[in-house]
Amino acid sequence: MDDWKPSPLIKPFGARKKRSWYLTWKYKLTNQRALRRFCQTGAVLFLLVTVIVNIKLILDTRRAISEVNEDPEPEQDYDEALGHLVSQQQRGSGPRRVLDVEVYSSRSKVYVAVDGTTVLEDEAWEQGRGIHVIVLNQATGHVMAKRVFDTYSPHEDEAMVLFLNMVAPGRVLICTVKDEGSFHLKDTAKALLRSLGSQAGPALGWRDTWAFVGRKGGPVLGEKHSKSPALSSWGDPVLLKTDVPLSSAEEAECHWADTELNRRRRRFCSKVEGYGSVCSCKDPTPIEFSPDPLPDNKVLNVPVAVIAANRPNYLYRMLRSLLSAQGVSPQMITVFIDGYYEEPMDVVALFGLRGIQHTPISIKNARVSQHYKASLTATFNLFPEAKFAVVLEEDLDIAVDFFSFLSQSIHLLEEDDSLYCISAWNDQGYEHTAEDPALLYRVETMPGLGWVLRKSLYKEELEPKWPTPEKLWDWDIWMRMPEQRRGRECIIPDVSRSYHFGIVGLNMNGYFHEAYFKKHKFNTVPGVQLQKVDSLKKDAYEVEIHRLLSEAEVLDHTKYPCEDSFVPDTEGHIYVAFIQMEKEDDFTTWTQLAKCLHIWDLDVRGNHKGLWRLFRKKNHFLVVGVPASPYSVKKPPSVIPIYLEPPPKEEGAPGAAEQT
Amino acid sequence: MSRISKNVILALFTLTSSAFLLFQLYYYKHYLSTKNGAGLSKSKGSRIGFDSTQWRAVKKFIMLTSSQNVPVFLIDPLILELINKNFEQVKNISYGSASECKFFCVQRDFTTFALQYHLWKNEEGWFPVAENMGFQCLKTESKDPRLDGIDSLSGTEIPLHCICKWATHAIHLVVFHGRSGNYLWHGHLRLKGHIDRKFVPFRKLQFGHYPGAFDRPELQQVTIDGLEVLIPKDPAHFLEEIPHSRFIECKYKEARTFFQQYLDDNTVEAMTFQKSAKELLQLAAKTLNKLGIRFWLSSGTCLGWYRQCSIIPYSKDVDLGIFIQDYKSDIILAFQEAGLPLKHKFGKVEDSLELSFQGKDDVKLDIFFFYEEPDYMWNGGTQAKTGKKFKYLFPKFTLCWTEFVDMKVHVPCETIEYIKANYGKGWKIPIKTWDWKSSPPNVQPNGIWPISEWDEVIQLY
Repeated sequence: MDDWKPSPLIKPFGARKKRSWYLTWKYKLTNQRALRRFCQTGAVLFLLVTVIVNIKLILDTRRAISEVNEDPEPEQDYDEALGHLVSQQQRGSGPRRVLDVEVYSSRSKVYVAVDGTTVLEDEAWEQGRGIHVIVLNQATGHVMAKRVFDTYSPHEDEAMVLFLNMVAPGRVLICTVKDEGSFHLKDTAKALLRSLGSQAGPALGWRDTWAFVGRKGGPVLGEKHSKSPALSSWGDPVLLKTDVPLSSAEEAECHWADTELNRRRRRFCSKVEGYGSVCSCKDPTPIEFSPDPLPDNKVLNVPVAVIAANRPNYLYRMLRSLLSAQGVSPQMITVFIDGYYEEPMDVVALFGLRGIQHTPISIKNARVSQHYKASLTATFNLFPEAKFAVVLEEDLDIAVDFFSFLSQSIHLLEEDDSLYCISAWNDQGYEHTAEDPALLYRVETMPGLGWVLRKSLYKEELEPKWPTPEKLWDWDIWMRMPEQRRGRECIIPDVSRSYHFGIVGLNMNGYFHEAYFKKHKFNTVPGVQLQKVDSLKKDAYEVEIHRLLSEAEVLDHTKYPCEDSFVPDTEGHIYVAFIQMEKEDDFTTWTQLAKCLHIWDLDVRGNHKGLWRLFRKKNHFLVVGVPASPYSVKKPPSVIPIYLEPPPKEEGAPGAAEQT
Repeated sequence: MSRISKNVILALFTLTSSAFLLFQLYYYKHYLSTKNGAGLSKSKGSRIGFDSTQWRAVKKFIMLTSSQNVPVFLIDPLILELINKNFEQVKNISYGSASECKFFCVQRDFTTFALQYHLWKNEEGWFPVAENMGFQCLKTESKDPRLDGIDSLSGTEIPLHCICKWATHAIHLVVFHGRSGNYLWHGHLRLKGHIDRKFVPFRKLQFGHYPGAFDRPELQQVTIDGLEVLIPKDPAHFLEEIPHSRFIECKYKEARTFFQQYLDDNTVEAMTFQKSAKELLQLAAKTLNKLGIRFWLSSGTCLGWYRQCSIIPYSKDVDLGIFIQDYKSDIILAFQEAGLPLKHKFGKVEDSLELSFQGKDDVKLDIFFFYEEPDYMWNGGTQAKTGKKFKYLFPKFTLCWTEFVDMKVHVPCETIEYIKANYGKGWKIPIKTWDWKSSPPNVQPNGIWPISEWDEVIQLY
């Protein structure tokens, strides 16, 4: 095409046409003014129309876009709204920028007043010994935590160090000593007090009085101290009055990304202290857990009632483990708090759960039992379609496969009338006596501590005759009484799916916990497949027990059963021992055996027709009570049942059992 | 020269703008077709009415709820009525083929949806999203009535109603809560102090003037006016329930005061009686519901509900009322089949009918039939020995739902008038000796049955 030359005569069609138009216009219309004007106006009008259509299109498109992706824009609006709120609050709290704080320390009384309001007062006789610590919000002056560490006793200073380390920097710390706070105040604790800027704290002596106000990581705002003049007397009472300047709200808060979760976190962290990294600015621990869902979850729609009192730190730990368990459905959880306590409610709100407070109407044990009744009734009212409810307490850790365990076993409760409950707790399941997480037992006792209640049992039998408030009964002891239990049994796992960590409680103390709960075995393996679940049904279980007894090797009954060598050093064997048990309620030998096996011996637990099942050195170990147990027939005639003498009367164990 | 260039410029402008216009037309068409592709509205043909605010508000609301996985269902009486009339058509129409907006474009102020609360995941997060989509929402909450019956519990408040306004149309979302007795309950929409009374014309709302109770409806998905919505599977039944759905709560606080004054009877006999009376009532309710007969708690059972929210332990029977126009002849047979033999029958359908059935453990079920006069209602009584007739007069009443012993049952809405008529002003004081012929203040002698009729009107078994 290189040699192609455009001829002036053969012009492209379009160009020629255009040119002719133009020419027509130019030569014909230039002279007709009116017509030209008309054309011009026409063109302008046309332009206008285009502009209008354009605008409409733009509007339409925008609307369409906003319909299609709704999210981004208005979230900003929300932020702005929030911003306004905050700034208003700041303006509102403008004038009052200083708190006056009074702290009193003496032998028999301590008190702390903030702006004239008493936030701590303790003059009870022989109570509240040690260092009282109060944490105030540096922006609002609200009390965020109140603790007392009895540093006269061992280990309490460690708890104090742990607590003080968790407090966020900038918070106002108030310390005051009642009676004695130095005897077990060790160097670590003293060093920590020194790092807070205290002069007298690290040098605190026997029966000194001491009052301290300071900012965590910041300046000391006031301190008073009075030395005890002699071993037998106390330091003079001291009264510290000091002004605490408030800082701005912004300083007091962390700058977390603005999400629904963080809003909950912010609300929580501006109110309370002592929950560790959940309020950490830099790297806060998550408050939403997304455990794997359970395939074919049979307990997804079973309500979970968490029975709580005023132990918010326990509740926090408990809910964390519960919400991390596979197959949990947070919507089904209700926390029932016994009393109008704010802090447990704050913990519940932190996790976005439902919380219900219960006004106390009775005292101690009866109060707990009334709280249980109200909670259970409320649970079935709130979930009218539920056939079961899971009952938990605030001082339990929940195993990762808790719901999986229930999902695999709950049908038993539906199909077998001879069952009273399913419990996650094996009273005899200690580190040295439990082995197989896939194994289940039937027991005549009701262990509690994480259990499933059938609605029909509650509505038709228990609720109508629940002990009334004037009867000071423990609900669990009442539930175990033969009138209620009526020979029915509970299903329990060999390895517990709950762990009782509470050491402060109605019937609980540190010694008791150490002796009976600390060494309890707790399953940490996810997704355990339970074995032979249907063999737990009434008749099938008897077949199973007979099979076990037939396979079992009879131990050497001439040996002393408390000796370690009583059970050989093997693995995977089944052994049986026969002990003396004259009547159904003769547990003399069993109790002694339980004592030397270091398992629960305060009352009888975990028996099934005079048979106990546990593990020793990875061998299944059966104990049969002869002749009361129907399984006595399996005893070879030559074997003489073991008899252990109860020790002469002198009382050992402290208190009754809260445990259940 | 300047004139020429001006013309040239004008012409150029015109050209570019027409080119622009063409492009825009093309683009607009394209945009519309993508919108269609997303399955939202118009198809090729001409579609009538789909630009109404109502339809668009509903569409947006459905987009919102489906994106948040919130299973709302349509309960709007106006639209359900229309759907019910064209039910076969609605069920058959394949997705999106309707060319005319017949249901959601009807002129109205509200469209009403409902939601079962326990299916509302992420309730907190829902509102910001709704606001982002252009809805202005208002939520009312109240304490949970399911905790009322239990001493001294105070819980998290539950949402009752949400009203979300978009342009001039508002969506009313009624939050249903499941209750013991297998029914759904919704609350009373109360405008508390800070609520803008002009937010929407509240008076015109179809739900929320009273608390209400409904059978748990089965749901089905249908496509209406191009929108996929859930509706009750039996819209006719739901529509029938609406005008009679008013619910009244038992007065638990007063009941507690009553028990503080008179103490509860906790003896074994009292509890056994209450248990068997409850079972008898449940059996009777089941039998009557199966027959489709309306009934309500009457006499002592009604008093027990109203005064102490429980069965009066020393009353010997369970009393029910039925309107004579609801009488069905197979009622006696049905009770017999349910294991409740007829104990006696007094009167006849035309006059003073009364039936008694024998329940277990010596508990009796009395059914009184009520006759309506222009300005009062009455039921009759008959003395077996003498053939004397009695008449018990009641002021006119309507029926409301309530919850009693884990059941949804009817009681007269005007309960206090009903009880005062039957028991006088002293109804609050428990009286253990009661003569049905002379104690009630509303009893009147009503002549005597002619001896010739005795065989029919006095039947004892």
